[in-house]
Formats: sequence, C-alpha cells, structure tokens
Amino acid sequence: MSLSKSFVRSFSGSASVHRTGYSTVHPVHHLVKVNKPALKPAYQSLLIPKDDIKSVGFKPSEIDQDRVAEHYENVIKSDLLLHNYQHDSAVIKGNKKRSWGEDSPYKLYRNLKKPKGVSRPTKDVHPIRYDNVPEVSSIIIQAYNRDALEESWLNISTRLQLSQITNVKAKQIYAKANILPWRLRRGKPCGGKVELTGRDMSQFISTLTELVLPRIRTFQGIKNTSGDNNGNITFGLDPEDVKGFPEIENFQELFPNLTGMHITFKTNAGTDDRARTLLSSLGFPFYNP
Amino acid sequence: MFKPFTTPVSSRLASSGAVILKNFVRGKRQSNQSASTKKVVNQLSALSASRKQPKLLNLCNEDLIKHKTIVNAWNLFKRKVQQRKHLQLKKQYKSIYNAMEDLKQTSPKLFELANAQQEGKRFPLEMRIPTDYPPTQPWVYNYSPKNKQ
Repeated sequence: MSLSKSFVRSFSGSASVHRTGYSTVHPVHHLVKVNKPALKPAYQSLLIPKDDIKSVGFKPSEIDQDRVAEHYENVIKSDLLLHNYQHDSAVIKGNKKRSWGEDSPYKLYRNLKKPKGVSRPTKDVHPIRYDNVPEVSSIIIQAYNRDALEESWLNISTRLQLSQITNVKAKQIYAKANILPWRLRRGKPCGGKVELTGRDMSQFISTLTELVLPRIRTFQGIKNTSGDNNGNITFGLDPEDVKGFPEIENFQELFPNLTGMHITFKTNAGTDDRARTLLSSLGFPFYNP
Repeated sequence: MFKPFTTPVSSRLASSGAVILKNFVRGKRQSNQSASTKKVVNQLSALSASRKQPKLLNLCNEDLIKHKTIVNAWNLFKRKVQQRKHLQLKKQYKSIYNAMEDLKQTSPKLFELANAQQEGKRFPLEMRIPTDYPPTQPWVYNYSPKNKQ
C-alpha cells in the first residue's frame, strides 16, 4: 500500500483502505503431500527401525564371525596403507566441465562446456591416507537373460538363481534400449540384479575365492584390463561356472535354466590399479590377457 | 450418465449360476496346471516373502531391557575397537610420514627409491583368509614363488 493514499471516508466502506498489501509469500499448505492413510495407528509398528527387536522386520544379522571383514581389518588394511603411500602427493584433479568464459552475459548461464579430450568428466584422485584406505564397498551382480525376452517366466528362474547364491532378494532388470536385432524393447524384463553389502558381501567373496573360482578349469583370473577407471572391477561367469556355487550344485535339477552373470566390485580406491591390488589381497587372481 | 442394463437382471443371474455349476468339483480341488507351470510357481513362491516371516518375538519388559543392554554394550565394544584401529592406522601413517621425511633429508637417492610407485603389485595367492580349521601344514617355510613365464 502506498503511503500517499489519503484516508477518505465514504459510504462505500473502508475495506479497500484497511486491506493488507500483496503477499509475496506463497501459502505452503496443500503443496506438502501427506499420505494420511500411512498415519493410521495400525501402521505405527512399521515405523520402528528394523534393527530393533520390536520391529516386525527384525532379522538378527551378527550371528557368526565375519572372516573376510576381520581379515581385511586386521591384516590387509595396514598393508594397503603402506603400499599406497606416496610422499608429498596431492589431489590429482580430474577432467572437469569447463566454463565458456565470462566476457559475455550470454555465456554466464550457458550449460558448461564438455571436458577437454573426453566425453564425460573424470573424478579427482585423492592420495591414500589413513582415513581412505581402499576397501570394497559393495558387489553388484547382474544377470542379463536373453532368453527371458521370449519366455518371460525365465525372469523368475534368473532372479531365484541370484537370490539363492547371494542370500539377498534379486531385483528385476528391464531393457533400456530398443535394439531390433536382439529383439530388445525398452521396458521389457530381462534378468535380475543384486547389490551385496556387509556380511552377505563377505560371504559371497569367500564362496567365490574358496569354492567357485578354484574349480573352474579354464579360469585364469580377472583380466588386468578390466575396470572403469574409477576403481570398479568387473568380471563375468558363464552358466557352466555358476553351477559351482554350492547352493546350486546340490540342487541342479531345480535349476535347469542357469544364466551367466557379471560381478562388479565397487571400491573406493579411486584408480583401477589400486582396486586390483585390493582384490588380489582378498584372494582374486589377475592375469594379462 | 445413466446406462440402462443391456440384459435383464434375472437372466444374468441365471447365466452366472450355470457357470458356477459347471466348475463345481466335490472334494479335493485339483489344479489344472502342468508340471512345468507348477515348477515356475514354486520358484516364484520361493522368491516372494509371503508366509516366510518368522513369528514376532514377544518379549516381556524385563527381557526387553536385558536385550537392549546387551545390544548397547556390544555396539559400544564395536565402536571402541573401531576407534582403536583407526587410531592405530593414523599412528602408522604418521610414522611412515616421519620416516620418509627423515629419509628425504638424509639420503635423497634412497628416498626416491622408497617413494617409487609400485604399479601392478599383487598380494600372493597363497595368502589365505584364516579359518577355524587351518591346513595340516599351515606355513610353508621353504616357500619360493612360481617362476613367471
């Protein structure tokens, strides 16, 4: 309201004079969506965290020794710190997206230019210190089943195979692209995926290195060229190799349709070479292809 | 909009009754699934979580307090172990740093050798994760690595 507006009494009323000014603050109510049925008292028990024994989803996790994690903590970690130590090392800057310049107002808010020489920005490589010693953060197992595009029930077999091996419920994966010669259509279910962390991951690592990989006759190791430049190493297992998992080996008639799988080790090593050293410490062999 | 029924109610009821009569089986229900379909259904039920949840433990208050005390103590113990290990790593890092600084002052040549990056370094495959049941010959004293081709 402007101050110059004089107070004029008229028969029409004083509402226009006393009306408050224009509010620039938008009302917040109705914009925040509240799922009211979820507030039902019957659902209160679902809000208890799952590590609480009163929760319906409580599952005791620490029921035995975690050999792999203990070995890593007690033996490998200090070795890796010593191995990766570099004196007077600094952060190696990654290739980042570039500004177009500031000499023109049109360049100010333009989307950043692609990094020099590469299609996508790369990450910084930090020197290894006591607080970022390389470790495996998770393992992702993905099984793409080509036959499941035709016979959709094979998705169930593939997911069950993964869950049986890893003790974690497998997620359904879907095709991302339309590729006609492969009969791929976007959104078609075509296999399963699992992400392992913690104890399941340790168990999977020891099963792989002690039972499965030593019994594959043609297995030479993980290729020294494998890796995505950020410290994540991948290798594959054939359907024949998958038979070596003890959970499947003893129930072969229940798993007639086995699928090969890609196993990716996600590490915080930063570079592939560090990640390979880390994996070799857990008992994975490497070879030059 | 109001939509009138296409067929009178009485005749529709009669037709649905006929369907029920046709499917009625006395005694045990028999599924008409083939063996392969049953197998897939079994696989799906193994994958799904329904009816696999064990019964919720109903603890009395005293037991709950006992449980919580034990869990808290265990978590405290784990945290202390973790902190001790972190401190040890920090000490190791500092002593490596001091040693390298010292070496840099005394012998730059040796320092360069010590600070050279060892790419492609691998742990020996013979190193195994300890088990409760170690092999009969736990340590090979006259070990020599295999010759690389």
